[in-house]
Amino acid sequence: MIRLLKSTVLALTVAALVPGAAMASGYPSKTITFICPYSAGGGGDTASRMIAKLAGDMMGVKINVENKTGGGATIGIGAVSKAKPDGYTVGFVSTSPITIRPHMMKAPYHPLKDLTYMSQFVASNQPLVVLKDSKFKTLKDVIDYAKANPGKLKWSTSVQRGGPHVAVEAMFKAEGAKATFIPFKGGSKVLAALLGGTIDFGMMSEGTKATLDGQTRILAEGTPNKNPVAPNAPTLIEAGYPIAPAIFFGVAGPAGLPKEVLDKWDAVMAKVVKSSEFVALASQRKWALDFAGHDAFTKIVHADYNAAKIAVAEIGMK
Amino acid sequence: MDLILEGLALSFTLESLLAITIGVAAGQILGAIPGLTASMAVALIIPYSFYFSPWVGIPMLLGMFKGSFFGASTTAILIRTPGTPAAAATVLDGHPLAQQGKGAKAMKMALYASVFGDTFSDICLIFFASLLAIVALSFGPAEYTVLIALALGSLGMLSSRPAWKGIMAMLLGVVIGMIGLDPITASERLTFGNPELEEGIGLIPMLIGFLAVSEVFRQMNDKTEDLSGDAVWFSSKPEDNRVSWPEFKSCVPVLFRSSILGTIIGAMPGLGATVAAFIAYGEARRTSKKPEEFGKGSLEGIAAPEAANNAVSGSNLIPLLAFGIPGDIAAALILGAFMIQGINVGPLAFSQNPVPLYAIYGALIMANLVNLVLGFGLVRIARFAVKVPRRLLLVSVLVIASAGSYALRGSLFDIQLVFMFGLLGFVMMRFGFPTVPLLIGFILVPLLEENLRTVLLLASTYDESLLFVFQRPAFVTMSALMVLGVLFLAHRRWRKRASPTPKS
Repeated sequence: MIRLLKSTVLALTVAALVPGAAMASGYPSKTITFICPYSAGGGGDTASRMIAKLAGDMMGVKINVENKTGGGATIGIGAVSKAKPDGYTVGFVSTSPITIRPHMMKAPYHPLKDLTYMSQFVASNQPLVVLKDSKFKTLKDVIDYAKANPGKLKWSTSVQRGGPHVAVEAMFKAEGAKATFIPFKGGSKVLAALLGGTIDFGMMSEGTKATLDGQTRILAEGTPNKNPVAPNAPTLIEAGYPIAPAIFFGVAGPAGLPKEVLDKWDAVMAKVVKSSEFVALASQRKWALDFAGHDAFTKIVHADYNAAKIAVAEIGMK
Repeated sequence: MDLILEGLALSFTLESLLAITIGVAAGQILGAIPGLTASMAVALIIPYSFYFSPWVGIPMLLGMFKGSFFGASTTAILIRTPGTPAAAATVLDGHPLAQQGKGAKAMKMALYASVFGDTFSDICLIFFASLLAIVALSFGPAEYTVLIALALGSLGMLSSRPAWKGIMAMLLGVVIGMIGLDPITASERLTFGNPELEEGIGLIPMLIGFLAVSEVFRQMNDKTEDLSGDAVWFSSKPEDNRVSWPEFKSCVPVLFRSSILGTIIGAMPGLGATVAAFIAYGEARRTSKKPEEFGKGSLEGIAAPEAANNAVSGSNLIPLLAFGIPGDIAAALILGAFMIQGINVGPLAFSQNPVPLYAIYGALIMANLVNLVLGFGLVRIARFAVKVPRRLLLVSVLVIASAGSYALRGSLFDIQLVFMFGLLGFVMMRFGFPTVPLLIGFILVPLLEENLRTVLLLASTYDESLLFVFQRPAFVTMSALMVLGVLFLAHRRWRKRASPTPKS
């Protein structure tokens, strides 16, 4: 009985000491929860699971992916922003719910105040594509047609009221042209509508592969990153338009994360994006790998957030 | 020919067969668990798929998707809980049969119909992929609108006496379906400022609550029911536990029609297996010789939705292989798996390297056979699994319903929805309101609205306004067929009236 009591006391003491000891030896010492604000199976989910597996292996802890969807990804990100800032709850973030949507809706967080941006690991391309045999040969052709035929040009993007939608509306606004946005749910449906002749052009990441497949042509690029498939197509900024928001995938945590956590993730994510598994996934999905650590990522988010704020107000989208 | 053999050789290996068997078995089990879908399982596997050879990983995925459709229908039949939304229409006739002690017959019919639908659409995929893809691509919002309107017309005839109760139920479904973002302006509707409602009411918690939980409430409330007996009663007569040849033969026309419908709907991006199942169900009832049996345990009523929802699984690969456009989330996941393995699918694949495509075909056909064989096993296990006292089963259904809905997206709100819809279904049954019109209103009307409003938006960009639809060959063809169909029906009815036959 005494022996049992003794060993129990011993076990309890060890148990009580372990977290302290682990704290001293550094982050992370226990399972990390990784909140993915998108449902299982989408691009965001695939990326989250890949990051969780690779980063978890490198840090020597388990990273559990939890899908918390809804509210245009704002519910999951809201959960991240409200978590304890100890580095054990982090999440996946992407452009729309961070730099765009909060200007149009009430999000359960302030993107610049309630979140810490840890690392960006993907910056995808958003090419503006037309059918291969379209009469539009350059971006100027598109603008000229829209000016000559107000409201007749039909176009779409993968996310209504997302970054590319704002960017193209800002372009037409700057030119004083009018076109009609036709909403479709998701980039593959936009591609189907383009191939089926329902719309005249689309801006969606699927356009890169469709161009490689010989179905479409790229006239411009809606992000700051040149499209590798069409190096001659200008970005919307190069073409002289107000905004070309970065379409990023990144990791973020609640505001006030300790420096130790940020440094750890910077180091690990820099390795993750170079790992053969992640490079393979990204090249097959046509994601452009563009690593940015805590400082650079925070700058990107702040700049895009402010640019989108002006653009959204100008085009009167809400 | 050499290329075909080379492709088949890739997938006709022992490893592939083993992978398919594991995939189908896992799919059947996952499909039977409400809230867990094959898509979720595949998403979990994808990070590990690097470590498989392509001809182990991809056959396993394909097997999983096929297995899940049948797995979902076993719970739909036995405990009125569709394992996935696509099996919701199977509840309508499957569960009444189970209540008559013919659960095994219903499950076997579902199995035959599933494998039939699968095989039919795989054959279409193999031989007519490029043709069907072109047809599917010529379908835009205008054609979708006509198609869905037709389906609503045919489903709207599903009887309910008195009619006003059916209409009320349908309108309620429409209102519930409208919750969320407006499809065109993306402004919030009926969300009362609650961000949980912004993406609308989830199909899975709604179906589980409305179909399964409401039934639990009903049985708990029914004081005359004996809750100590077995949960599901199985007749001991052999003819109640199998599908006889004449019974199967009488379902063959329905199987063909539903498979064709499912194949066409599956080839179009954005409609999906649930819609296909309901449309096929309505169509089967409309053309049946015994429409009065529908809803009371008609075998045709099981054959139609099961053949159609499985046919979708093969044909949604058509736009994927022909254009690189995934038709639904399942196809998107398969696309992801192909890409991770470095296999290009899309318009160039046929000309550049068709061998992997033939290997996929081989794996699809093999998966159908495995599904059939393992399906018999599942029927046995399912019969055994429900051999518990009913009161225990009722409680387990509540637990499974809650856990499954929570697992889907980690939202406690979804569990609240399950119970709210359980209560709604219970109250409706209590006061004699039919439940099917509500489901149809909820599933089809939002699709109709989305497409109709897109058409109106498109019309604003044409000089001829709404008349632009007549420039679309697919629209003209469909409308012509519809008019002919209506004329044919009117003619038949008129002839019947002109020559009164002794038939009642």
